[in-house]
Amino acid sequence: MIGLLGAVAVAALGLSLAIGAVPISMWEMLRGASTGLDHTIFMEIRAPRVVLAGFVGATLALAGASLQGLFRNPLADPGLIGVSSGGALGAVCLIVGAPTLTGALASYALPLAAVAGSVSVTAFLYVFSSRFGQFSIVTIVLVGIAVNALAGVGIGLFQYVSDDASLRTLTFWMMGSFGSSTWSTVLPAVVIMAVAALPLLFLGRGLDLLQLGEATAFHLGIDVRRLKRRVILCTAVAVGAGVAVSGIIGFIGLVVPHLVRLAIGANHRFVLAGAVLLGAALAMLADTVARSLLAPAEIPVSLITSALGAPFFLWLITRVRPA
Amino acid sequence: MMLAVRDAHLKLGATSVLRQVSLEVTPGSVTALVGPNGAGKTSLLRVLAGEMPLTQGHASLNGRTLNRMSPQELARRRGVVTQSTAMAFDFYVDEVLEMGWMHNCRANLARAAAQVAGDCGIAHLAGRRFNTLSGGEQQRVQFARALLQAWQPPEAAIGPERREPFYLLLDEPTSSLDLAHEQLVLRLARQARDYNIGVLMILHDLNLASHFADRVVLLVGGCLAATGRPEEVFTDRILSSAYGTGVHVEWHGQLSRLFIHAH
Repeated sequence: MIGLLGAVAVAALGLSLAIGAVPISMWEMLRGASTGLDHTIFMEIRAPRVVLAGFVGATLALAGASLQGLFRNPLADPGLIGVSSGGALGAVCLIVGAPTLTGALASYALPLAAVAGSVSVTAFLYVFSSRFGQFSIVTIVLVGIAVNALAGVGIGLFQYVSDDASLRTLTFWMMGSFGSSTWSTVLPAVVIMAVAALPLLFLGRGLDLLQLGEATAFHLGIDVRRLKRRVILCTAVAVGAGVAVSGIIGFIGLVVPHLVRLAIGANHRFVLAGAVLLGAALAMLADTVARSLLAPAEIPVSLITSALGAPFFLWLITRVRPA
Repeated sequence: MMLAVRDAHLKLGATSVLRQVSLEVTPGSVTALVGPNGAGKTSLLRVLAGEMPLTQGHASLNGRTLNRMSPQELARRRGVVTQSTAMAFDFYVDEVLEMGWMHNCRANLARAAAQVAGDCGIAHLAGRRFNTLSGGEQQRVQFARALLQAWQPPEAAIGPERREPFYLLLDEPTSSLDLAHEQLVLRLARQARDYNIGVLMILHDLNLASHFADRVVLLVGGCLAATGRPEEVFTDRILSSAYGTGVHVEWHGQLSRLFIHAH
């Protein structure tokens, strides 16, 4: 089954590279016989965009699967506990606060600002929840709602004080898109996402045991506090870096883990790996639709993921058993 | 070699849950922990599981302070079965069972899991989703999972003295079970003695406790009210005072066991 998901991801990669506003023959590209312009479009515009879409999709899906496992709640999502909006707040801070920042500095500063935002929001969440004696799941979800609202206030304030130029950047960025990808913006974010998300792939057993309850997971040898800290820190950093370059892209973290569970069962060792493959595939395909449906104009990709994800979310609510 | 608390005091908030409790669980024995509701039985079990630190006193496993042991070290030496909760995701029964496997090498897993599943009467449930099981079936799966946790490679199981001691802590292991499965689970708990396993189980049914336990510990209001062999602890006077109601104990000659009833 994992093999099948791998094949889906490879097929999605091929399709996304082949389809676009400018028709480029893949065959000529592979033979090295393409024109200079085609080559430039492919290497400098399409490839970084597809790579970014793949990484962001994989990261969001992996983060969603990990958080759902951690919270023992199939409705958990990086957006839910405020990780995404924390990242957005950090990035908005930088866009409005330092609008003149450009070039290589900006391509590193933006992901770092977003990571700082999502990590500090998550740290606040962690400290606030654990002050109540125990670091319980219900508390953290409720605190997450409050944190989301607070981040919303921060973002709103920045929007209010920003000038026209940064407001435009901000609005476009907030809609969620892979549109502004160049290698220099993509690479730093991709490196941070990969380094932060990779450890999550090895937490499968811990997340499995956690499904029996925190006490039983401890009885079976899991350091539950450490597991929680790891999942939260890794998802905060990875999602923050993704948010920095693509804005908030909804529902991938929610939908993909479910599709994977339907296909290969609940075992996290497979769910986590499957989520990476399917998340990458879905994001690349959604982005391909976004940029080719009304070409040469393009739709923000988050509109597509939300249009697909929101009905799925409603369907999910009717299915979820209270744990 | 034992799992023990000495002069244990435990406060949860302002409430004193345990007061000066000393208790030992030795490998190869079955101890029943009994007492009225709110006596602190589950708290004591959680202390022994290493889950809660004591406010005062000392809890140790084979001579080592419990709170200094890592969760992994503890998991290799003691298993716990608490009341089962529903799972958020659809795991299969055999996946839940295998969660008790503590060894890196999975070569013996299939054989050990099949044996434990057969012993606990859950072999026919292997392909079912855990959440679709009845409460009693789930309880047996959790019990089997804890037995699998105690599994040791055959070379360690040549004789009881060669096996690493292991402790099983069971919180009302029969609360959802029918008569037949109640007997099955308690008999398995008793058989575990032969594998150098020390069992501590919270039981509400005093007749079961007197029949299956070597030793009984009676906890009342967070204090140790009595401890000893079932026939020493289970007397009219001790039980009536502990439970605050008339309790009558008689020896059933034909069955050669105690018969305890309230009136």
